[in-house]
Amino acid sequence: MSSHAASAPAALSAAPASTAPAASKALTFGLAGIVLTALGLFVSGAKVVAHSWLVGVTYWTAIAVGMLLLVLIHHIFDASWSTVIRRQFEHGLAAFKWLGLLFLPLLLASFLYDRDLIWPWLDLNREIHGGHTVGHDPLYLKKAAFLNPGMLIGMTIAFFASWIWLSSRLRRASFTQDQDGSLGWTRHNRVTAAIGLPIAALTLTFAAIYWIKSLEYHWFSTMYGVWFFANCVRGALSFGVIIMVWLWQRGDYRGILNTNHFHSIGMLMLAFTVFWAYVTFSQYFLIWNANVPEETFWYNLREINHDGASNQWKWIGIFGILFGHFFIPFFFLLSYRFKVTPHILRRIAIWILAIILLDLCYNIMPALKDSHGDALPLLSLNLLWILTSVVGVGGICVWAYLRSFGTAKLIPIRDPRIGESLTHHE
Amino acid sequence: MSAQPYGLIATFKTAPALYHAAEAVRDAGYRHWDCITPFPVHGLDKAMGLRRSIVPRISLVGGITGFCTGMSLIWWTGAVDYKLIVGGKPLFSPMFAFPVSYELTILFTAFATIIGMFVLNGLPMHYHPVLKYDQIRRGMDDTFFIVIEARDPRFNAANTRALLEQAGGEAITELEP
Repeated sequence: MSSHAASAPAALSAAPASTAPAASKALTFGLAGIVLTALGLFVSGAKVVAHSWLVGVTYWTAIAVGMLLLVLIHHIFDASWSTVIRRQFEHGLAAFKWLGLLFLPLLLASFLYDRDLIWPWLDLNREIHGGHTVGHDPLYLKKAAFLNPGMLIGMTIAFFASWIWLSSRLRRASFTQDQDGSLGWTRHNRVTAAIGLPIAALTLTFAAIYWIKSLEYHWFSTMYGVWFFANCVRGALSFGVIIMVWLWQRGDYRGILNTNHFHSIGMLMLAFTVFWAYVTFSQYFLIWNANVPEETFWYNLREINHDGASNQWKWIGIFGILFGHFFIPFFFLLSYRFKVTPHILRRIAIWILAIILLDLCYNIMPALKDSHGDALPLLSLNLLWILTSVVGVGGICVWAYLRSFGTAKLIPIRDPRIGESLTHHE
Repeated sequence: MSAQPYGLIATFKTAPALYHAAEAVRDAGYRHWDCITPFPVHGLDKAMGLRRSIVPRISLVGGITGFCTGMSLIWWTGAVDYKLIVGGKPLFSPMFAFPVSYELTILFTAFATIIGMFVLNGLPMHYHPVLKYDQIRRGMDDTFFIVIEARDPRFNAANTRALLEQAGGEAITELEP
C-alpha cells in the first residue's frame, strides 16, 4: 500500500502556489480592524473596547493554542493520518508572537491608563458591593497571592513564552526534516510533545483563569480550564477543516486528501463537541445543584437583571450556547455523509467557530455592568467593537499563517508516517 | 449429496485478485455472496457493492430511547409516584435528570449497537457450510475466497462457475449445504 507514497507527492516538488496577495489582503483587514477598534475608544469608551479586544485576542489565542495541542498530540501518539494536515497547524503556530504583541495593549492600558479597566482586582482601592474596597475584601485577600499585578504580568509573559518556544521547536524540526529527511527530528518532536503537553495544559488553564475567570474574582469553577481547552481544540479542528477545504478546492490537496481524512477530523469534531458539552454542563449543573450564592451569582448575572427580568444573556445561553454550541453540531456531525462531504463539513466548522466567539462573549462581556449591576446587553454597539477586534486580531493571525505557508512544503514530505497518511484507510 | 449445493467457492492467491474478482461478481448482479479474507482488505466493501451498515441508525434509536427512559424515570419516580422535595429543588427538573439520562443514553446506545450488529450478522452462528470445505482454514492464513450462494436468483451452476473462472478463481468447488 505504501507504494503510493512515492508517486503521490510528485506534484509537491513544486512550491505551493503563491499566497502573497491573500496575505496582504489579510494584513489590510487586520490593520483596518485594529484602526476601527481604536476609533471605538472615542465612541464607546475604553472599558467597552478593552473588553472587546480581550474577546478578540483570547478568541484567536484559543485557536492557536488548539493548533499547538493538536500538533503535540499528533507527535505524542505517533499519529499517522494527520501527518498531511499537521503542516497547516504548524503554519498557524506562527501567529503566537503576534498574539503576544496584540495582548500587550491590554496590560499597558491596565497599568498606565486605568487599573480598573479590565481586571477589577488590579485596583485595590476600587469600591465593591457592601461599601468596602477590593483591598479589604476577604475573598480577594485569600487569592491575593495569585491575583496581583506582578503575577498577571509574569504569568502572561510565561504563557506566550512557552507557546512561542514550543511552536518554534516544533516548526524548526518539522521544516528542517523536509530538507535533510533525518528521523532524528521526529524523535525531537516527540520529546517536545512529552515536555510540551503538560506545559500547554497548565498555561492554557492559567490563561483562562487570569484573563477570563478573574474578571469576576469572587467566582470559581474547577472546570474552567477544561472548558477553555475544549473550545481551543474545537476551534483548531474547525479552522483546520476550513484550511483543508480551501486547499482542496484550490487544488493543492488533490490526490493528497481522501474521504477518510475528512471523516477522521469530523469524528474528532464530534468527540470534542460531546466533550465540551460534558464539561460545560458539569460546571452549570454543579453550581445549579449546590445553589450557593457565591457561585450562582455568575449565572444569575447571565440570566436575570436586578429586578428579576430576563436579560439577553439568558437567551444567548439557551439558544447560542446550549443549542448552537452542542445540539446543532452534535446532530449534524453524527451523519457520515456530512462528515465526508468537504463543503458541508466546512459549513459546520464555520458555525462552530462563530459559536466559540459567542461562548467567549458570554464569559467575558457580562463583566461590563450598568449602574444597577446588571450585565450590559450583547446586541448593542458593543458587538461592533467585538467584531472589529476579531477581524483585527484575526487578520494579523491569518496573515502570519499565510506568510509562513509559502516558506515550507505543503505537507511534511519526508516524515516517516507520510506514506501511511497519504493512503489513510485505503 | 443433495441436488442443490449450498454454493460455489473459489480460491484466490492475492488480495488484488480477490478485489477485482469481487468487482466482477458485483457487476454480474449477485446479491447473496461473500468474501473470506485472512485480514481486512481496505475498500473491499466498495468492490463488493456493499452499502453502509444501518447499525448507526439502530444505535441512534437506542440512544434516544435511553435518553427518554432516563428523563421519564426521574420524572415519574420524583414528580408522580413518590413526591418528595429534596434540597429545596423542584419535584422534576431536566437538570438533575440529565446525568441519569446521559448514562442511559450511552448504555442503550451500546446495547443497540451490539445487538444490532449481532442480529444483522446473524450471530451467534454455530454452523456455516463453508466450514466443511477442507481448505477453509487457509482463509485465516494466506488465501482468499469468494463464496456465491445457490439461493441467489442469478445462481446457475454452470454460468456462476464460468464467471468465477473468468474472474481468476481457482479450485472452484461445490459446497455441501
